[in-house]
Amino acid sequence: MASSKLVRFTLIALRVALGAIFVYAAWVKLRDPWQLFAMSIDAYRVLPLGMVELTARVVPWLELALGLWLIAGFWLRVSGALVSLLLLTFFGLMVRAYAKGMAIDCGCFGPGEAISWKTLLRDGTLVAAALLVTTMAFLNRPKTAA
Amino acid sequence: MKLCALLLAALISCLGQPMPADKDKAFGNPSASRRLDVFSDFECPMCRSFHMEILPQLERDYGPGGKIYIVFHEFPLNIPAHKYNREAAYYATAAARIGRYDAVADKLFLNQAAWDGAHGNPSGKVWETVASALTPAEQKKVQALAKDPSVIAAVESDVALGNRFGINSTPTVLLTYGGRRPFALPNAMNYPLLRSLLDGIK
Repeated sequence: MASSKLVRFTLIALRVALGAIFVYAAWVKLRDPWQLFAMSIDAYRVLPLGMVELTARVVPWLELALGLWLIAGFWLRVSGALVSLLLLTFFGLMVRAYAKGMAIDCGCFGPGEAISWKTLLRDGTLVAAALLVTTMAFLNRPKTAA
Repeated sequence: MKLCALLLAALISCLGQPMPADKDKAFGNPSASRRLDVFSDFECPMCRSFHMEILPQLERDYGPGGKIYIVFHEFPLNIPAHKYNREAAYYATAAARIGRYDAVADKLFLNQAAWDGAHGNPSGKVWETVASALTPAEQKKVQALAKDPSVIAAVESDVALGNRFGINSTPTVLLTYGGRRPFALPNAMNYPLLRSLLDGIK
């Protein structure tokens, strides 16, 4: 019983922490001109300019909404899956850039943070945490009556 | 000398004073609301692109009316392929002392492949490239100044300043505006985005 409570508490803490990190990442981007985030995205060389601008304007608001949604804790399977998908996309792009030896900013929490093994470790941990929260949300979903 | 430059950079950081600017290596209006500090290496191909493609557009769009202040800093990278970048930085800084920085920097970037270490140039014809931008009288002055301890110290001071900002690649462009501390732009090579940013800030 105690161990089940501990697991439950850990999952809630993980979910709230992930949500807070998403809200912080959004706030850091929204307080700056959107072009700074656009420059970070552009440096990855994966999107044309029009898409770079659109992504730079939309992603911070998406991060804010997903962060608040995670903290609120309802429809956790959907919010968890969306957060995991977004983090996997970011992580994949960062790994690609690192493997190609691109000396560029991560763009995760505003300008001035170059991609390194440290940022990869941090974002990899976030991916693992998001996948764990999502998996547990699916495993613990309420059983419908037969 | 290196220690002095590091101490100076640390002092600037502690006091929150504005970034130092060598007037002989600057463009535009010192009291403009937007300031760019460009850290570059004369042997870096991306620095060449910035100098030849981005800079002329910045000067064209923000020069008239004094809407920008651009300060150039030397940041010769410590990588084996860049054998002559420090020598080039000393000559360019020496040329700045006689008001010929732009001409020498233009020549060094324009003819980068003729003297840099990346193209297998055995001798690194840095001086020949620098000299081609100067008159014989200027050449004598620049050759003497390039060995001057104050010129060497100025380059090392730029490097120390860049290190304080965690710069590890070139070109790195620091932006200062609206009372904010200078910060590195994630990528200054996309002019439409850079222009959109500069137009949007006060």
